[in-house]
Amino acid sequence: MRTLSNWIRWPLWVSILGAGLTLTISLPTQAFTVFACEPEWAALSRVLVPEAKVHVATHAAQDPHHIEARPALIAKMRQADLVVCTGAGLESGWLPVLQQRAGNPKAQSVFWASDHVVMIDPQPAAIGTPWAGDVHAEGNPHVHLDPRNVLLVAQALRDRLQQEWPDQKSAIAVRHRSFEEQWQQRIAQWTRLAAPLRGQPIAVQHASFGYLWDWLGMKLVADLEPKPGMSPTPGHLQRLLDGLRHNPPRAVIVANYQDPRAGRWLSNQLGKQVPLLVLPATVSDPADGTALADWMEGLIRSLLPLVKP
Amino acid sequence: MNQKRQTRSRIYKTTSLSQLSWSSGKKIAFTSALFSCVVVNAQGQPVANAAQDSTGWKVGIVLDAGATSKAMALGDRGKGLQLGHSDLTVSGALGTHLKAQLTGVAETHEGKLESNLDEAWLETTSLPMGLQMRAGRFASQVGYLNAQHPHADDFVERPLLYRALLGGHWIDDGLRLNWTAPTEKYLMFGMEVFRGKNLVGEAANAPGNLAAMAWVAKLGDDFNSSNSWQLGLSHIKNRREAAIEEHHGDEEQAEAMHDHHGAQYTGKNTWMLDGTWKWSPNGNNRTEQLKLGFEIARTTGLNRFASASDRHQSHALSAVWRFNPSWELGIRSDLLKVSQPLETLFVIAKMREHALMLAYKPTHMQTLRLQYTTQRNVTGFESPAKNAVQLQYVLAFGAHGAHPF
Repeated sequence: MRTLSNWIRWPLWVSILGAGLTLTISLPTQAFTVFACEPEWAALSRVLVPEAKVHVATHAAQDPHHIEARPALIAKMRQADLVVCTGAGLESGWLPVLQQRAGNPKAQSVFWASDHVVMIDPQPAAIGTPWAGDVHAEGNPHVHLDPRNVLLVAQALRDRLQQEWPDQKSAIAVRHRSFEEQWQQRIAQWTRLAAPLRGQPIAVQHASFGYLWDWLGMKLVADLEPKPGMSPTPGHLQRLLDGLRHNPPRAVIVANYQDPRAGRWLSNQLGKQVPLLVLPATVSDPADGTALADWMEGLIRSLLPLVKP
Repeated sequence: MNQKRQTRSRIYKTTSLSQLSWSSGKKIAFTSALFSCVVVNAQGQPVANAAQDSTGWKVGIVLDAGATSKAMALGDRGKGLQLGHSDLTVSGALGTHLKAQLTGVAETHEGKLESNLDEAWLETTSLPMGLQMRAGRFASQVGYLNAQHPHADDFVERPLLYRALLGGHWIDDGLRLNWTAPTEKYLMFGMEVFRGKNLVGEAANAPGNLAAMAWVAKLGDDFNSSNSWQLGLSHIKNRREAAIEEHHGDEEQAEAMHDHHGAQYTGKNTWMLDGTWKWSPNGNNRTEQLKLGFEIARTTGLNRFASASDRHQSHALSAVWRFNPSWELGIRSDLLKVSQPLETLFVIAKMREHALMLAYKPTHMQTLRLQYTTQRNVTGFESPAKNAVQLQYVLAFGAHGAHPF
């Protein structure tokens, strides 16, 4: 009986595996494929290598800290020639599973955007205690919120792409130069445009926009999260309300992937002069060539009405 | 062996306790290391370099403490307060081509604190064409739950299917070869060969060294941005035939030999089918999530006296709803039907188990879980728990592995 079932089973499995392997080897060479963990890096990759196939693991309505290591993402990572992510622990809840299951050696050496900028708010002492919330020891991972960081990451990504894709070396350099020039002009424009925002007090939920506040010089007076990554609690909100009554912020600001209820409550309690502002934490359509610039411009234009005459 | 068979009267198999355990000296060293780390943390002085050192090696500790009102039939947790599956994991890269992981576990088992080396493996990271190999001691990837660390489970105890047919968590010494297909959908084929001693402790035959083989196929994809799914099909070919328990007229001795590391009900062929469906709004699993899962298993070829109709069968259906970032509510329904070997005959035993759990997760490194379990329609199992209430607290320190789908 055993021999019989062995005779049937062995050839079956071996032929499935064999057929699969043959298929893998004989598949036509695919376009250069980038796997980007976040839409902002997908958009930047599109700018530098427009003909590449770009897979994005998350979208603008998602919290990049918390997604499932879904089978579909493993399949996408299996096809990647280059993986571009933020790092600093932002993807540590799901990226390692994808890397482990994809069986793709190219997915092991990830391009980490946060390696190329100076991170704000590093907290080396808070590593790993269960009561600390979602603390990123290396610093705030949402580095793309400072357009000057985008410049630094673009330079490093250019170098990496040239290395991975040598026959496109000069084309990548040309595209990068043009992006850099435009981006620098935009930074100058945005800085002028946003000058009145300097010193304006705001209340936020999570450090999603931390780099933006630093860059624009806006004053963070309250965080709705009692601890990083923890949902707002009634007690914490009440304490914030008591403190903010006499010194109300210009607005309560949340990211579009966050539950707006806590922010709405605080805004309602503080009255009409403190609106709730829901801002996109990243680009909504990374396939669009001007997505990054449009998004950053949009953020600044949404903030400008907060300035009181 | 046949002579022993004729004198037996109890119906469970035995495995040697020493199989997985380290020598006692190492045990003590490991256990004290585990607790000294925790003390440092408990005093509010975080082990600053514990989570990640400069070479990328990571250390993580998970503590699981639980209290049970009544031990369940085929349950892993005895009555009263105890240490659940608590582990210390060290993992990292060995050069550019290999990844390694070591996991030591401490838990209370039948009133005694035991420690084991649960995982010690090397895995390739740079094989071409979607191939991957792993060698050492590790959990088989059969079914949905087996590859997962128990602290990530949604319920205090694993389904009856695992407790009865796989010894709770089938971890063994062996070799794995996986192939991920270059397809749009996730498609993976895997093959594992194991010694099989942690599936069947004491074999009645002489099956050789690598006596258990497992084949796994997985298929999965997104349905849309809020829904995703995975299906798995597994087959275990087990050449170790379980020795049928002999009775020495001393029940305590028999109890002492009854070890949880081997599976209670085994056979030559086990087929498993599992399916998982997860929904969360826009894929934000933290905000809200509904997780539906089913697993079915069937074991045939129970021993040399078995006919084609003698089989073990089990299924588990579960739904877990995270209705708030910190709260989860879950329900699970299990069915187990086994053919217990008795002399050359088989006696059918059956049981249903239903569980309802509520979990509070103030941060992603802490879980407090309250579970009510009832075992019903029980035939042929000793001391089932009509009503059991369990409380479990899981606490993680340091690096904490990412969880698979």
